[in-house]
Amino acid sequence: MSGASSMPGIAGTARLMFYSLLAVSLMALDYRGQYLERFRTIATDLTEPLLLAVDLPAAGVEHIAGLLHQRSEAQQRIQALEHDLARSQAKLGLLNDLVEENRRFRGLLETTERVETRHISAEIGAVDLDPFAHRLMLRRGSRDKVWVGMPVVDAAGVLGQVDQVGYLSSRIVLITDPDHALPVQVLPGGERTIAYGSGAPDRLRLNDLPMNTAIEAGDLVVTSGIGGRFPPGLPVARIETVSRDPGQLFAQALAVPLAEMGRNRIVLLLEAVVSDPDASDSAGPDEESDEAIDIEQATIDKALQDGIEDEAG
Amino acid sequence: MNRERNLMPLVTVFVALLLTLLPLPDALEGWRPYWVAMVVIYWHLESHQLGSLGAGFAIGLTLDVTTGALLGQHALSLVIINFLVGRFRNRIRFFPPWQQAMAIGALLFNDRIVQLWIVGLLQLGWPGWSWWLPPLIGMALWPWLFLLLDALRWRRRRPQ
Repeated sequence: MSGASSMPGIAGTARLMFYSLLAVSLMALDYRGQYLERFRTIATDLTEPLLLAVDLPAAGVEHIAGLLHQRSEAQQRIQALEHDLARSQAKLGLLNDLVEENRRFRGLLETTERVETRHISAEIGAVDLDPFAHRLMLRRGSRDKVWVGMPVVDAAGVLGQVDQVGYLSSRIVLITDPDHALPVQVLPGGERTIAYGSGAPDRLRLNDLPMNTAIEAGDLVVTSGIGGRFPPGLPVARIETVSRDPGQLFAQALAVPLAEMGRNRIVLLLEAVVSDPDASDSAGPDEESDEAIDIEQATIDKALQDGIEDEAG
Repeated sequence: MNRERNLMPLVTVFVALLLTLLPLPDALEGWRPYWVAMVVIYWHLESHQLGSLGAGFAIGLTLDVTTGALLGQHALSLVIINFLVGRFRNRIRFFPPWQQAMAIGALLFNDRIVQLWIVGLLQLGWPGWSWWLPPLIGMALWPWLFLLLDALRWRRRRPQ
């Protein structure tokens, strides 16, 4: 029973060094690049049943809570939802008209067809995995034709995008994740920039604004559609503060996401579908060039950022 | 009989893993103790099982994969815990569970510092005061966990 784990001095220390080094290099590999991507995917598939099993009690409790709801309460809720539906339907009628009109205008302007979206609704699994990574699990996977990179929105705004896909579940990374960057446009001015996750669950950072920016508190941040991953015009956040630090090259803004981060149960996964097959041919290269612009912009931003950091340091 | 006793630590670690994954309300999320480490410490202290650095590494890696943490983060943390427990095993065993809790608290606190170092390297920012809660909770829960696992271990042994 004793043997290996009694660990005499030097051998024990050597083993500690060995395993620590192994762990640290694993971390470096995982952090630095995509070397372990394949392993991650396999591991996600293997652990998926475990996560779903753990989530069962929560789902069960919710189900029972639903059963215990008073009948009158349920009726009230149905009524409220019906009102909402009627109102939304009326709005939708107007919108359809606008869409038609828009299509005609676009035809006149000879621009490409706007991308139409299909959507999949998904339920959030209650599992909150790592307090630092802003990620959520959805109970939709490759079986439901979910793929990596799909935008995720709720009724109020953009929530994030799909990061990993298993067979029955997928993980999404929220726009507030420190690793996430989202090409956006700030209305009413229309300035294009990138919104970074701040790490705080209710803030986004807009870092590289010119000092004379017209952005003000209360402005609406929407997706710009550059990069081709998110459709343009989805509401993202509202600007909270704009700060112009004289020591910095750029003005910075903080924005509050409109989506209810982590509080909603049902979200939508958007699937971009080009509405007109003829237009898809012309849209293809166009999207590619957009992506090139996005990459270019990202590298410029990165270079500028590095420059600032150098100056600061 | 022997096989059954060898299976017990793995079963309890698995349960600890489930407890780690169990969804909690946001308010309680920061209070979740480091279940897996506590169970591993118990088995290492009391029966030398799961005590090798390799076992710690493997369990930690499993934890990393299931929680979606950086690969190697919990592996490193458990390797260090196992090493320290191996060093101070005899001294810790000497005390009754409620006094052991202090030593366990120190171990878990040290582990928090190790993990904070990793978090710092990733530049994720200061995690806030609730970062230090789990060791305290772990310390408070240790005697009860100890009694529970002891009961499990002896129940297995009695039919012999």
